[in-house]
Amino acid sequence: MIGVNMDFSFSEEQELFRKSVRGFCEKKLAPRAGEIDEKGEIPNDVLADMAGFGLLGMTISEKYGGSGADFTEASIAAEEIARADISMATAVYYLVEAGWGFLMERYGTAKAREEILPGVTNGKNFLGIASTEATGGSDIASISTTLEKKEGKLVVNGAKSFISGVREAEKYGGGYVTIVKTEQEPGHKGLSVCYLPVKDTPGINTSIFKQMGREGISTGAINITNVEIPEHYLIGEWNRGIHYAMEGFNCARTLVAAACIGAAEKALESGIEYIKERQAFGTPLAKFEGIQFQMADDYARLESARLLVYRAAWMLDQMYGKNRFSHGEINKAVACCKLVAPTTAFDIIRDVLTWYGAYGYTREAGLERGLRGVYSYIIGAEGAMNIMRIIIGKEILGKDFTPY
Amino acid sequence: MDIIVCIKQIYDLAQIKVDSASRRPVTEGVAKKLSDFDKNALEEAIRIREKHGGKVLAIIRGTKDAAKEVLAMGADEAVIYEIESDSLGTATFLAGMIQNMKYDLILCGEASIDEYSFQIGPRLAQALGIAVLTYARRIELKEGGIVGERDLENGYELAEAKLPALVTVTKDINEPRIPTLVQILGASKKKITETGHAKPESGVETLSIQAVEMKRKGIILKDIGELARVIISEK
Ligand SMILES: Cc1cc2nc3c(=O)[nH]c(=O)nc-3n(C[C@H](O)[C@H](O)[C@H](O)COP(=O)(O)OP(=O)(O)OC[C@H]3O[C@@H](n4cnc5c(N)ncnc54)[C@H](O)[C@@H]3O)c2cc1C
Repeated sequence: MIGVNMDFSFSEEQELFRKSVRGFCEKKLAPRAGEIDEKGEIPNDVLADMAGFGLLGMTISEKYGGSGADFTEASIAAEEIARADISMATAVYYLVEAGWGFLMERYGTAKAREEILPGVTNGKNFLGIASTEATGGSDIASISTTLEKKEGKLVVNGAKSFISGVREAEKYGGGYVTIVKTEQEPGHKGLSVCYLPVKDTPGINTSIFKQMGREGISTGAINITNVEIPEHYLIGEWNRGIHYAMEGFNCARTLVAAACIGAAEKALESGIEYIKERQAFGTPLAKFEGIQFQMADDYARLESARLLVYRAAWMLDQMYGKNRFSHGEINKAVACCKLVAPTTAFDIIRDVLTWYGAYGYTREAGLERGLRGVYSYIIGAEGAMNIMRIIIGKEILGKDFTPY
Repeated sequence: MDIIVCIKQIYDLAQIKVDSASRRPVTEGVAKKLSDFDKNALEEAIRIREKHGGKVLAIIRGTKDAAKEVLAMGADEAVIYEIESDSLGTATFLAGMIQNMKYDLILCGEASIDEYSFQIGPRLAQALGIAVLTYARRIELKEGGIVGERDLENGYELAEAKLPALVTVTKDINEPRIPTLVQILGASKKKITETGHAKPESGVETLSIQAVEMKRKGIILKDIGELARVIISEK
């Protein structure tokens, strides 16, 4: 035997944590999943319970009220939360905060961290990401929202669109890690990152879109006109924003992929029970190989997506804890899981919904909301599928083969 | 206040399937969990310690991961053991372990939810020569003693005992907490003592465990009236 490093098992603590979050979610979240989708919001008491259980902003350190979770632990939580609410709404709320809150703590100023992070971890405020603009989300260098320095203040102008949690940020307070242009340089060079408070901020106007799924969390637009923010709201260094943005996306994308497999797992488990019971032509559906083989394929695909997710999470933990892996290696591993998990999850939920027959098409069966929710991550929340392919292509082929 | 809690780790009964040929329960691959009422006992012990100070020692029949969960919930220290015996043998074994320890209160679940013998608590108290309050749905500490609300079939009884005493609790006494990540990671430094596998003499020998056979009678009735007549005649 050469070495003993390869080990695919979770530690006892990780297993116990999964059991705990599952217990928590089965009790506090799963019974509310229908209501979350129907009413279009995550009830306040659910958020308060999640905060009390240490799930909100859980990658943020204990100093600011977080749990100091690493990305393996945070992925376990993402998976379990999406299992309990397969519409993905609660998972979205959770993962944007866990992903971008982590970035905020890492690169935000001490003053900003103290002001903002405790409100995130105690569930009182929302923290999101505002990158996309109406003119396009994939080409991040082309954004036109600007940040300027003016008399000891920072001034933001522009508009962000298709942003998760706009109503929540208005209602509860909180704001966004916001990608802005600070220099009219071509390419990625002139980008910076700042924190933009939303509630009661003069110059901010918001609107909400009606959308296809994940009804429990809003998606909206933020118009920003001469909004003054204090200098300590700059995150990281001026003009180096692309690096922080990539890092934040890597964190959030891993959790997105974890949430997708959680939703798919839950659907597949219920599908397996269903095909064993449901009869057609005098036989359980599960005995037809037309169904059984599909189930086997689904299971194998889910397992492969799961391995990609936990490898990416593990690599992030290795990078932050032990300085291992280059950014390129991380970018590639994360893009792989964000490419594979949403599509896999969508296909699995669709298969299970089909096994359910007409019942699958009802709201009551609770599967269609999973399909609608997971599709947001195929469209591109936290990065479109083709952008994942571009990242993987670039890491494999090098800059010489990048068309832009 | 030094409190000892007795806990049993059991198979998650909801996951157990019965082999259709042998009617034996299939335990392979079935997850284990802490027996429900024992968790209530642990929760109560932690609450008492949070209010009055002291220490909670958990004595667990089970594995190290059971101990980790118990410690994450808030016990200060854990002892784990395995035993093959009946209720009397187990209670005697526990008494042997506990009699030289310092304690004010022992808490147990009213029964384990796999065997439901209801015997460990009372037998342990008997072996230690201390008072026992069974089926408590509420307890309160008083100067040198404890008052418990005992859940009886048609009402409840208030009973009082001097400490040290043993109390068995019902599920109504509290809602056990679920440990958070911080508590789980924080508990990894707490002490777990392993005492090995005990095989004391036992008056009961388990020959086999089989599920009851369930057979539908396959009787088709014409109407409600006939159904009512059948139910009445079958009692
Ligand atoms: C529900 C939901 C919530 C969202 N929440 C947020 C949020 O909180 N914050 C935020 O900043 N953004 C958010 N977004 C926006 C998301 O990040 C963008 O949708 C995504 O980045 C894609 O941008 P776009 O929609 O403008 O599509 P475009 O960039 O216009 O792309 C359109 C299509 O073209 C493809 N494409 C683009 N470039 C190429 C190329 N070079 N080669 C091949 N194909 C290409 C894309 O894959 C896509 O299918 C959210 C989106 C959704 C659907």
